[in-house]
Amino acid sequence: MPQHTTPALREGRRRFCLSLLGGAAAVALPRLAGGQERRYTIAFANLTEEPGVTIEGTGFTGPEVRASFVLAARKLPIDLVLYDNQRDPKRALANAEDAIARKVDLFVEYFADPDANAAMAARLKAARIPILALNHGVPGAPLYTIDNEAAGRIAGEALGQFATRGWRGQPTVAAIVGPVDAKADRVPERVQGVMEGLRARLPAVKPVTLDTQGNPARVGALLGKFVAAHPGTKVLVAATDDSTALAAKSALEVAGRASDAAIVSHGVDRNIHGGINDKKEIDPNNRASIVIGSVAFYLDRCGYDVLPLALRMLRGEAVPPRTVTKHVLVTATNVFVEYPPYDMN
Amino acid sequence: MSFRSAVAASAIIILASASLAFAQSDCKTLVPPSPWGPNDQTGATNRITPAVTKAAAAEIQEGKVIEMSFPLTDGVPLFGTRFTKTILTATSLAPGAAYGENQLTYMEDTWLSQSHVGTHLDGLGHIGRKDCYFNQTPMGKYINQNNMTRLGLEHLKSFATRGVLLDMVKVFQAAGKLKTNAACRKPCLDGGTVITPADLQAALKMYNVTLREGDIVTIHTGWGDLFQQFPKQNAVYNSAAPGIGKEAAKWLISQKVVAVGTDTWVVEVIPGEDPKEAFIVHNMLITDNGIHILENVRTDLMADEAARTNRATFFFSMTVPKAVGLTGNFVAIEGIR
Repeated sequence: MPQHTTPALREGRRRFCLSLLGGAAAVALPRLAGGQERRYTIAFANLTEEPGVTIEGTGFTGPEVRASFVLAARKLPIDLVLYDNQRDPKRALANAEDAIARKVDLFVEYFADPDANAAMAARLKAARIPILALNHGVPGAPLYTIDNEAAGRIAGEALGQFATRGWRGQPTVAAIVGPVDAKADRVPERVQGVMEGLRARLPAVKPVTLDTQGNPARVGALLGKFVAAHPGTKVLVAATDDSTALAAKSALEVAGRASDAAIVSHGVDRNIHGGINDKKEIDPNNRASIVIGSVAFYLDRCGYDVLPLALRMLRGEAVPPRTVTKHVLVTATNVFVEYPPYDMN
Repeated sequence: MSFRSAVAASAIIILASASLAFAQSDCKTLVPPSPWGPNDQTGATNRITPAVTKAAAAEIQEGKVIEMSFPLTDGVPLFGTRFTKTILTATSLAPGAAYGENQLTYMEDTWLSQSHVGTHLDGLGHIGRKDCYFNQTPMGKYINQNNMTRLGLEHLKSFATRGVLLDMVKVFQAAGKLKTNAACRKPCLDGGTVITPADLQAALKMYNVTLREGDIVTIHTGWGDLFQQFPKQNAVYNSAAPGIGKEAAKWLISQKVVAVGTDTWVVEVIPGEDPKEAFIVHNMLITDNGIHILENVRTDLMADEAARTNRATFFFSMTVPKAVGLTGNFVAIEGIR
């Protein structure tokens, strides 16, 4: 069953009748007679609501994505209808059908199956409901997505910059650790970005990939073997996600090589940063960590980017076919700027 | 130490001090000046004039005193390593330790506590923007290891004014938009619920009240029920909060209130409206306008009283210790009717 943040279906139906008169009418009537902007009903079909199950090769979960939509909607003239696609094509199609029956104003689709997305797009188009795709393309719909390659490039450049500043002239090796072949999560794009970033700064270093196949427990053995094979060298580690980064740090400590190493990660999930009382790895009071940073994916904030984009579509404004997350390297220096803590009073 | 090395050390200290001075922010660009002048360390309590207090006294009609503080005791919701701990000294109760023929005995306490615990007042030195605090104060110049030498609680005037209760639970119920939290035993606004200017105005209209300059506003969200369930619901209580958003803060500032209190740990909505802003309403009220924040205020009893009598105003009685150089302190609040 879908969840509503606020019931506003009567207004939604009124809006739908208007939309039948043509898109231009809707564009021309964004404000109600009293000057107050009309409210829109937007459906968001989430990839999964399964607690604790991570998505997109990061440490974020579906409920965190959904929460970002609910929080972002507070300041916008939007009533949300929430669906859980349960990673199931049949469920995803059923959710789209339900949204059509409810005559929502716009449908935000977060689903990875291209065939299901194509079928859904056809149904929603027939019902004249615009679609905004999240992270995975839907035919004919603008896409908002994380940019794995750009994020990887930031990580690679950060590692390269660290090495050129601190280890100039010293033999250096590099490893990319994590589920490096996880195509469904587009991790290979991330890996490609890391390689490009490293190459730009350290052309002589040829990074190797160490595939954990999604199991951080494998990091110790893989990385331990790698550093043992490279005694007397400096070691750059690009971890594809934050859990892997923490496992890599432990592995390097166990191997006695922490002082030779630097790690950059991807995600900035709650495993690696927190409030002022959490004492997590990326923290202003932990500036000497070998985890020098993690590239933020902001999946816990994507609603703040997606819903304004949806509003622009509903107001008849042009939106780009592809909008990407502005990834940023988060370190001990800027972590409290990017993620202000709120555990104080 | 030789004279030469002493001179060298002094030079280093002077150079270091100079570079620290250069590192200070330009507070005139970060914080507005106080409307009460460049030397003002008092803030919004300047608004509590004898006339304001006298007018507030008219609220005392029955002599009924309503408690508006939570008990201050071990186990109430706090963050991280913060604590409040009392230690009783009762040595004279030991056999033979009483004094004189009248066998006088005595006891006293050692109270170890962070100052922002329980029902408490945020002073003007609590919140800044970079190193700039209320009235463009470059706070780096005015702190030492123990306290502040400007903006301490000793500079505040009386809080003897009119209190106004705004019952958000009733407003949200009446609007059909109350989304409660399962851990609340009574209806409450859920964490993350933004209170808007329209909500505040609806609460005033509900009891036919118009705010006056010098009022203290107390907002009942019902979230304080979680505080009362300490320690069981401490984690839920601290995890989020309903509260005012930036627009509501702007509106309250325009009403020239003295303080804003709620039955939450924070007054403003958490998570905040913009995930990249930290406690922005604190900046707006305290840093920019010298308006105090009161946290963990017990509002349920006054809300009940207002609903029973259809009157939401009262004489606001609050004791703030003249604690020199402190950024805030626990307080006792009573609403007198």
